[in-house]
Amino acid sequence: MTTPLLKAWSHYLRLTTRWPSIGTIVPFIPLIVIWWVVTELQVFPRAFLPGPSEVVRSFGSLVYTGVLPDYLQDSIWRLVVGSFWGVALGIPLGVLVGLSQRAHKALWPLLLFFQAIGDIAWLPILVIWFGYGLTTMTVVIVYTVIFPVVLNTVLGVRSIPITMYRAALSLGASRTRMLWEVVLPGALPNIMTGLRNGLGYGWRALIATEIIVGTSGIGFLMFDARRAGSVVEILLGMIILGILWYIVDSWILAPIERATGLRWGLVTK
Amino acid sequence: MKSLTIRNLSKTYFDVHAGTNVTAVRDLSLEVPAGEFVSIVGPSGCGKTTLLNMIAGFLPHTGGEILVGGRPVKGPGPDRGVVFQSFALFPWRTVLDNVAFGPKMRGVGRAEREKIAHEYLALVKLSEAAGRYPNELSGGMQQRVGVVRALANEPDVLLMDEPFASVDAQTRMTLQEELTRIWEQKRPTVIFITHDVAEAVFLGNRVVALSKGRVLEEIAVDLPRPRVWDDLIEDDQFKALSARVLQLVRSA
Repeated sequence: MTTPLLKAWSHYLRLTTRWPSIGTIVPFIPLIVIWWVVTELQVFPRAFLPGPSEVVRSFGSLVYTGVLPDYLQDSIWRLVVGSFWGVALGIPLGVLVGLSQRAHKALWPLLLFFQAIGDIAWLPILVIWFGYGLTTMTVVIVYTVIFPVVLNTVLGVRSIPITMYRAALSLGASRTRMLWEVVLPGALPNIMTGLRNGLGYGWRALIATEIIVGTSGIGFLMFDARRAGSVVEILLGMIILGILWYIVDSWILAPIERATGLRWGLVTK
Repeated sequence: MKSLTIRNLSKTYFDVHAGTNVTAVRDLSLEVPAGEFVSIVGPSGCGKTTLLNMIAGFLPHTGGEILVGGRPVKGPGPDRGVVFQSFALFPWRTVLDNVAFGPKMRGVGRAEREKIAHEYLALVKLSEAAGRYPNELSGGMQQRVGVVRALANEPDVLLMDEPFASVDAQTRMTLQEELTRIWEQKRPTVIFITHDVAEAVFLGNRVVALSKGRVLEEIAVDLPRPRVWDDLIEDDQFKALSARVLQLVRSA
């Protein structure tokens, strides 16, 4: 009884090593099947829980009308702009606080204070200041991305063994070279962790912001669908969020980590 | 290669936990002519690592002076190469780039510094590993890289802080033989810190025993070179010298 199962499992393992994408899709199959069965049996009213086929159809029509591509583009662009500034400001700030005892003393309490306020808590005042536009959303995302990036960069800089600095100095590195040759690469695995957390939070903050102040985007699509009573589109929005995050993680973040921290042995699998 | 002169060196620091001043090195003088290999031995807490860190410029000294080629030491610099007990290779650089690091900091162009790095890697038979990252290498291989990384920068003085303490016994003997071969070939000025008496005698032209931050005694080692363990392990003169140094260290 157990042997055929074990055999099938080892087959599956071999298959996924050869084609990793299969390993991403297969776990979702039972979930989709259950979803399909539940909706086919009409356990819940169709209007409350539409089936997979309806969601796919809705996806098709929203792509056809151009609404979904436009909204998707808007959301991704907002995330890109916000993350860019979050990282561009966060890494230098983290390095400064990590390296300088004075900067640490001066800025650490402020960082902790503002981190606690939380991204969406800023929305009321940001809407008054900047209105319902890209600026408001960018500020929220920058705000969300920057804290994990700064805090993890500080941690990364501080975890570099003192012998690394000593080795570089006694090989003739100047203070500026040290920044590029030791501090940044040494802190990179932690910076990546910060980036991963930051983007994850940023993505959620974006959707929340779009729901509250948006006029377009995936968050707006979902909220708008609620007004229209279209559960199909809400489900579609949720699925897209999951898929997009998966893509960002496995196409961008994971390859960078494989090429750096993992390759260097600074991060264990 | 240059000489190293240490005159009336002392190091006192405030121990926060004990709440008192501690003197790690006191009134220590040592003269190392250019091209000499000096082993420094002593029990833990005798100040040998503090001494090396002061010569390297990692720690400031509180009295006396350290001169390399007649010039006083003020902070770390490429004139003093350091080999660390923990190897301290840059994990984010390949073996080749680690060895080429010093020349790169000096402004040597890529082609030239890679040529230098390849030559030094060949010296320790690690040409094959040039493209690998340090974490893919065994401890013994990593420390070979550590030694040639320091040498490739052509320092005036090579400082080695218990470099072979964290590798297994067989590898250690191989590394000692390789180091003595490289020294015989290139004749750098070396300060070698160790607590291993046999290692100190095997490698050095002179063994300096430290105790409580002072030089206890200096012993000349006039064993013939090239030195290999097969010749020395049963050699009477080697055994006598080792016994002598061991006695000194134990009495310290």
